[in-house]
Amino acid sequence: MGFNMRKIIPAICLVLVLGLGSAATGQALPQASTDEKLFQEAKLLIFDKKWEAALDKLQDIVDSGARGPYYSQAIFYKGECLSSIKGREKDALLAYKEYIQLRDANPSLIEKSEGSIIDLASTLYNKGDRSALKEIEGRLDHPNRAVRYYAAYKLSLVPDKTIASKSVIVLEQIIRTEKDPELTDRARIALLRVSPESLKSVEDRKPSSDSPRMLKIRIWKKGMKSPEVSINIPWALADLALNAMDEEDKAAMRKKGYDLNKIMNDLAKSKEKLFRIEADDGSIIEIWIE
Amino acid sequence: MNACPIKRADWLAYLSGDLEEGRRTTVAEHLKECPDCRREVEEIRRVFEGADAVKGEIQEVLHSVDWEALPSRVADYVFAKAKKPGRASLIERIRMGLLQPRLRPVLAGLVLGLLLGAVGMYLALRNPSLAPDQGKNYYASQEFLDRAELEMARRETVDYLERSQYVLLDFLGTPSGQAAARPGLSMAQARELLSKKKYLNRELEKFQMAKAKAICDQIEMLFLELAQISGDLPEAELAKIRDLVEERQLFLKINLVRKELQNGV
Repeated sequence: MGFNMRKIIPAICLVLVLGLGSAATGQALPQASTDEKLFQEAKLLIFDKKWEAALDKLQDIVDSGARGPYYSQAIFYKGECLSSIKGREKDALLAYKEYIQLRDANPSLIEKSEGSIIDLASTLYNKGDRSALKEIEGRLDHPNRAVRYYAAYKLSLVPDKTIASKSVIVLEQIIRTEKDPELTDRARIALLRVSPESLKSVEDRKPSSDSPRMLKIRIWKKGMKSPEVSINIPWALADLALNAMDEEDKAAMRKKGYDLNKIMNDLAKSKEKLFRIEADDGSIIEIWIE
Repeated sequence: MNACPIKRADWLAYLSGDLEEGRRTTVAEHLKECPDCRREVEEIRRVFEGADAVKGEIQEVLHSVDWEALPSRVADYVFAKAKKPGRASLIERIRMGLLQPRLRPVLAGLVLGLLLGAVGMYLALRNPSLAPDQGKNYYASQEFLDRAELEMARRETVDYLERSQYVLLDFLGTPSGQAAARPGLSMAQARELLSKKKYLNRELEKFQMAKAKAICDQIEMLFLELAQISGDLPEAELAKIRDLVEERQLFLKINLVRKELQNGV
C-alpha cells in the first residue's frame, strides 16, 4: 500500500491550519469577553469620575496585546482619564494623539480628541511649556472647521498678545461665515480681547442693514470726571453686554423703572435715543447706539 | 548802581542821541547835579568811543568773510583736526556726516519730532479711557469681557442642558422593540452638543460652576457613547444607558442645575 505524498502533505497542512485557527479563536473569545467586561467597568468608573481606577482597567485592555474591538476605545478613554488627573497632561496628550492615528477611530471621538489636545496644550503652556503652543497653532488650518475654530478661540486667550493675534484670521472667518450666534458671539468677544480694530474692520465690511452698528455704555460714578465704565461694542453683543452689566447698576436701572429688554427694544427702534439714568447714589448711566 | 530816577537805558539813548527833546533836557539837567551819574555816563562814553575806533576795521573784516562757505570751512577744519591717523570708522563717518552744519536743522527737526512723539505717546498711554471716546472703535475692559463671558456661559449651559435633556429623552424614550429605528436627527444633535461642550469647559471651571460642570460631563460621556454607535442602536446597549440615567437620576439633576442657572449663577 503506497502513500501518495502529494495528497498527504496538503491534508496535514489543512489539519494544522484548522487546529491552530481553532486554538487561536478559543483564546481570542475569552479575551474579547474579558476586554468587554473591563471596558464596561471602566466606563462606569469614568462616569463617576474615578479616573485612576478606570485607568487601571483600560490599561489592562491595552496591555493584553489582543488589539480587539475595545482597543481603540480604551486608548481614547485612557486620554480622558489621564487628562483629568493632575500632572498627567503630557501622557493624556500622547494618548489622544495615538487614538486619532488609529484606523478604526470614530469621527466623533477624533473631534473630541482634537479638542482635548488643544485644551491640554493650553494647560501645558500655562504651566510654562511654551513648545506646547505648537499643538494649538498647528490646528489653526485644520481641515475640520470645529477644530480650527476651537484652536483660534483657545489661542485668543493666551496673555501674550503677539501669540494671541495669530487667531485673528480664523476669528474673523467665523464672524463672516458662521450663522450660529453662539460661535459668532464668542468670536466677537475673543476679537474684542485680542484685536478690537480687526472686529471693527469685519463689522464694517458687512453689508449695511437697518440694525445699528455699535452700542455705547458709559457709567459715571458720583464725583468722577471720567466714566468708570466705558464700552463700545458691536450691536450683536448688545443683549449680552446689558445683561453683563454690574448688578448694582442693573438694580439702579430697575429701581428707576428701566427694564433691560425694554431698553433693548427702544434702542433698536429709535436709533437716536439716549438713555440717561441717574441713580440714587449720584451715578449716571448713559446707553446709546450709533 | 545809584538810586537816581534816570535809568541806564536813558543814558545810552542820551549818548547815542536817540532821546526826544524834553527827556534829553531832563537827563542833561540831572547830570549837571549828580556826580555819580556823571561818572557813570563818562565811562559809557569812553566805551562808545573805543568801539568807534575799531568800527572801521571790524566792518572791513566782516566784508571780507564769505558767509556762505564759512560753515563748511569750520566743519572741515574741526573734523580735520579731530581725525585720527588712518581711515575713520563707519560710526565716526556717520557721525561726521550727521554733524555737518547744513544738516543741523534736519537733526534739530528729528530731535524735536522724537520729543513731540514721546510726549504724544505718553499722553495717549497715560489715560487709556480716553481711547473709546476719541473714535468710533470698539472697546471693552477685560473685567467687562469676563462678565460677558460669564453671562454667555450661564445662557449656553442652560441651553446645553435643555437640549441634552431632549436628545436623551428621544433616545431613551423609545419603547422596547422600536429601538432599532433611531432617527438620525438625534444622533446629529448629540454630535453637535458634543462639539459645543468643549467651549463650556473653560468657563464652567473658571466661574466655579462645579455642579453644572459635573452634570455636563456626565451628559457628554453618554453622548460619546451614543456617538460611537452607527446605524441601529442595539436594544441591550439602550437598556444599559437607560439604567444608568435612571440610577443616577440624571434628569432630576439636569432640572435642578438648570433652574439654578436660570435664576442666576
